[in-house]
Amino acid sequence: MTHTGVGASLPRKEDDRFLHGRGRYLADIEMPRMLDVAFVRSPLAHAEIVGIDKPEEAGERVFTARDMDGVAPIRPTSNVAGHRIVGSPPMALTRVRFVGEIIAACLAPNRAQAEDLAEQVVPDLKELPVVASIDAAMAEGAPLVHADWGTNLSMETRFDSGIEEQVARATVQVTRTLDMARQAMVPLEGKGALAHYDARDGQLVVYSSTQSPHMIRNALCQCLGLQQRQVRVVAPDVGGGFGYKAILHPEEVIVAWLALRLKRPVRWLEDRFEHLTAGANARQHRYRMTAHADDRGRILALDAVLTTDAGAYSIWPHTNGFDAIQASGILTGPYDIGGYRVRTMTVATNKPPLSPYRAVARPGACFAMETLVDAVARAVGRDPVDVRLENLVPAAAMPYKAITGKEYDSGDYPASLRRTRALVDAVSADPGPDRLIGTGYAVYTEHTAVSTATISQIGVQMMPGFEQAAALMQPDGSLEIRVGVQSHGQGMETTLAQIASEVLGIDPHRVSVRHGDTALSPYSTGTYASRAVVMTGGAVAAAADKLAFKLREIAAHMMQCTADDVRLEAGELVGPGASMTIEEAAVIWHFRPFDLPEELLRDGLEVTGGYRPDGDRAPFAYAAHAARVAVDPELGTVEVLDYVAVDDCGTRVNPMIVDGQVLGGVAQGIGTALFEEVPFDDQGQPLATTFGDYSVPAASEIPMIRLDHMETRSPYTRFGVKGVGEGGAIAPPAAVVNAINDALRSTGAELCAVPATPRRVLQAIFDAEDRAAGKKEAAR
Amino acid sequence: MKAPAFDYLRPATIAEAVAALAEGAGGARILAGGQSLVPMLNLRVAFAETLIDIGAIADLRAVVDEGETVLIGAGVTHATLEDGTIGDHWRGMPAFVARDIAYRAVRNRGTLGGSLCHADPAADWPVAMMALGATMLLAGPDGERALAAKDFSVDVFTTALEEDEMLTGIRLPKLSPSARWSYRKMRKKAGAFGEAIAAVVHDPARGFTRVVAGSSAVGGPCRLEALEGAVALGSLAAEAAIRTALAEREPDLDRYEMQIHATCLRRAMKEVSS
Amino acid sequence: MTTLSLTVNGEPVRSEIDPRLSLADFLRENLALKGTHLGCEHGACGACTVVVDDMPMRSCITLAASCEGVRVTTVEGFDDDPVVTRLRQAFRDEHALQCGYCTPGMLATARDIVLRHDRPDVEQIRAELAGCICRCTGYRGIVRAIAHVIETKSQATEAKAGTT
Repeated sequence: MTHTGVGASLPRKEDDRFLHGRGRYLADIEMPRMLDVAFVRSPLAHAEIVGIDKPEEAGERVFTARDMDGVAPIRPTSNVAGHRIVGSPPMALTRVRFVGEIIAACLAPNRAQAEDLAEQVVPDLKELPVVASIDAAMAEGAPLVHADWGTNLSMETRFDSGIEEQVARATVQVTRTLDMARQAMVPLEGKGALAHYDARDGQLVVYSSTQSPHMIRNALCQCLGLQQRQVRVVAPDVGGGFGYKAILHPEEVIVAWLALRLKRPVRWLEDRFEHLTAGANARQHRYRMTAHADDRGRILALDAVLTTDAGAYSIWPHTNGFDAIQASGILTGPYDIGGYRVRTMTVATNKPPLSPYRAVARPGACFAMETLVDAVARAVGRDPVDVRLENLVPAAAMPYKAITGKEYDSGDYPASLRRTRALVDAVSADPGPDRLIGTGYAVYTEHTAVSTATISQIGVQMMPGFEQAAALMQPDGSLEIRVGVQSHGQGMETTLAQIASEVLGIDPHRVSVRHGDTALSPYSTGTYASRAVVMTGGAVAAAADKLAFKLREIAAHMMQCTADDVRLEAGELVGPGASMTIEEAAVIWHFRPFDLPEELLRDGLEVTGGYRPDGDRAPFAYAAHAARVAVDPELGTVEVLDYVAVDDCGTRVNPMIVDGQVLGGVAQGIGTALFEEVPFDDQGQPLATTFGDYSVPAASEIPMIRLDHMETRSPYTRFGVKGVGEGGAIAPPAAVVNAINDALRSTGAELCAVPATPRRVLQAIFDAEDRAAGKKEAAR
Repeated sequence: MKAPAFDYLRPATIAEAVAALAEGAGGARILAGGQSLVPMLNLRVAFAETLIDIGAIADLRAVVDEGETVLIGAGVTHATLEDGTIGDHWRGMPAFVARDIAYRAVRNRGTLGGSLCHADPAADWPVAMMALGATMLLAGPDGERALAAKDFSVDVFTTALEEDEMLTGIRLPKLSPSARWSYRKMRKKAGAFGEAIAAVVHDPARGFTRVVAGSSAVGGPCRLEALEGAVALGSLAAEAAIRTALAEREPDLDRYEMQIHATCLRRAMKEVSS
Repeated sequence: MTTLSLTVNGEPVRSEIDPRLSLADFLRENLALKGTHLGCEHGACGACTVVVDDMPMRSCITLAASCEGVRVTTVEGFDDDPVVTRLRQAFRDEHALQCGYCTPGMLATARDIVLRHDRPDVEQIRAELAGCICRCTGYRGIVRAIAHVIETKSQATEAKAGTT
């Protein structure tokens, strides 16, 4: 048998069904008597609900918050001192606080008719003043999103390692203000939920396009006052998540409540308009960064203020403060910096609530830090790569305790950057006429597989604990693995089978991985934070270990030796003088129990294994990226000509799938860098409501990204793996903007915001022209 | 995002379609390829009591070589123009323009006539047809009439079509072999509508030069005659002249909008002049 | 209601439909062909792309009623298509899909690129894919898969000739 375990680029077991249209996504599930929901959503960003006019014949077809008596509000929690926190009510009762907030649910046998009905429901809204930006929300006398707070500042944190000594030694100060715009996450399949009450089992069954079925069950039970055993949550095939589907959506609560109330299946499918307006909830950070450096650009201290435009409510479970906490905890990045001071402000605005999007706050943090490093390099007149090499944590310093308190476990950051530079330099690019060319770099390090300690410190309701996996040996020796994480593109049906194969030597094609169903799966907080291969991979290995031990015991009994004498090799149980296959051992337990002693029969061949990294320590993945861009300085357009990433996620279970994760992350990061933005006007109206206005990059915008890998095993994880699901998305905004600024060096322009749309690029050039003209004027 | 209810007709001839329009008395709309109208229906920003689907009318897909001109049926798709299967008498300009309209799957349904009637200010065909000197053929209850492209285009999303009229064809004058053209579009990503469009056609043998700009910012296609003299003389219009011409058309252009339009125009004129 | 007759995946279909029904909803709801996915319902993402009379079209912005007399092929109907058979293998080999949601539309579009172009380079393939959003793969695998099938196109053409 060829190697099919850890390290094999096995073709994916998932592919066949998707290539033949046999996937089953939420919208593909049909149920008799099912009703579709269309929501009436607020057209105003801030208003009092005076009344809601329903059509007379609406009856049990239109529901508002007043009908949802007894449903508890969604209540996220936080341990951060002074954190003012308000969850979103499933439907607005007296007040709406962002455009798209739900006012009423309208039901009909199909969506078109539900929308017809929704058009007849007219909310009577009394307009209230709106704060639609950080500046508006923090202005003196600003209208309040939540009147009882007395402020729009929802959360404030401070950290100060003491920087005076470093500041005193520094000879160079560089300060920049850097903005990352608000985005929608845009999984290609929208969010959706379908609920029905199973009267036979006495169970509410909720199909949800979610990354975290057990978490959704936790939240539904809290809101609906049900016991966990009374609710089953099933995630079918999920068409992309990226964090958008790792949170509770109020629509899930409403649909579940409607199914209980009506005793009929009820379904909601988010459409693209809803997603781009009510779901425009990612990123939007502003950084004020000051680097204190020496003449060579060695950064001695970093002083930062981070403000997030966090929207009207706190999403469950992460709260609105997750971005600020993540960003401030990793802002110094892969660098060895001796002094760090940071203040974060999480600001409420009349916009959809801020939610964690792939890599959470790290694309913003990396963008801020890495553009600042380039600015430092310019200030000291050195090459930005050389300045980085001088500041990066050296391999010899690993494990390295960062000034933030985080422990970076392993890796060679400078080597990844040097390799990236060599790859970029090896290929020349022709910018074509009318364009300028530039190259930009960015390096990051990333906390993957978030630890229990980290979450307990923050106090949000997604405690990772020990991840569980069940391994069920079937009577014929085939294997079913059941896991609580949910695979929605990551290929876990393949990689987890490979891990079982690595331990047991079993052919992955005799392994099925079942996931996404609380009725089948062990409890899990789900798929997020680049955790699945670390946590669930470890749990699958632990379960497989247990199973292997049992199989060896059975074989040992049959071969009349001890279990220690039996080795598992390529699916064979090999003893001193004989061997048997796993299949034979499975058959003996299931069909020839009389051949085995009672103690070998008792516990069976269905086991659960638990796992977390040694000492609850998270592995840090990292990478260096480089972008080469062509900028048209008269039109402001940017083309990415070449993109290189050299990453290190430790041992790669399936290198092909790792490549896919990085490539996809980079493409999303290029979207953040150049295209994706939901602007709001000062009345809180979203201005990008279709893909006509919200540009998602296609193949035409994404170059043939080039990858290389380093493979430094994590000392703390099974097989030495580190998470890889998010990392690709972290560096592109920084690398692309650094490349643009490199291209524009002759113009004197410096861009400090993403996405780098033509308008922003030209504005940076205009500003440089105006500065030059002003200087000339002053000189005259 | 599901379309509101409407009645649906699928006439087999232009006469039946025109009769249905009259019958609809303003509540009826023509459905051509539907690549703009159906999305707008799905978003419920467009409505109709009756949709008159002209997809079954074979005459609308006819292409007739009339000697000096070619009559292109309003129902000819972008993809047909892209592929050049109707013959090329315009030195490749329609195919070039078509190739960059949305995406192939959209071009396979979307039609030249539908795009002209929809009159999106950022659309390509209104600009290109004005630059090529097209004439629009309209059918109504009182028979046919012809309108020059510049008279057909009235305003943003507005044409000279009466509510009981439909566009049946586009008469396009052939270019001479010595003609030159340039079509420049600045857009945020492939397939997106233009942020700024400039079309220049210079045909000394036939004695005309046209410089046309288009986009939402300039309110749709507009001919900038003040710039045409320089192109005709083979010289370059001064940057200031370009900006003045644009400002005369649309005084409210901001610095960014002025810059991208002026750049597209300058490059297009340079390409034709060189 | 209006009457619609057409051919779907080789089978004649006759149906009474609400005229506002899109082709996508007709395929999914009336014919239970769930392989055609909706990603935007305004023609911009490409997930719903199906083949109509041998041309890729957006089923979300095509009214079912407009499809009188046409031949529609969805992802469920490609099993005898030699180009799609090769594309499927290439998509597997090049890891050209992750969550699978865009995949049916990608296959319909890729088939058209393979059939309509002789020797497109990578830049042309990328440009032709402009109307299809994949949020997962970063596109490299998709572009490579299509390029691979085009490289071996002569064999595919022979195979096609063999089946007709």
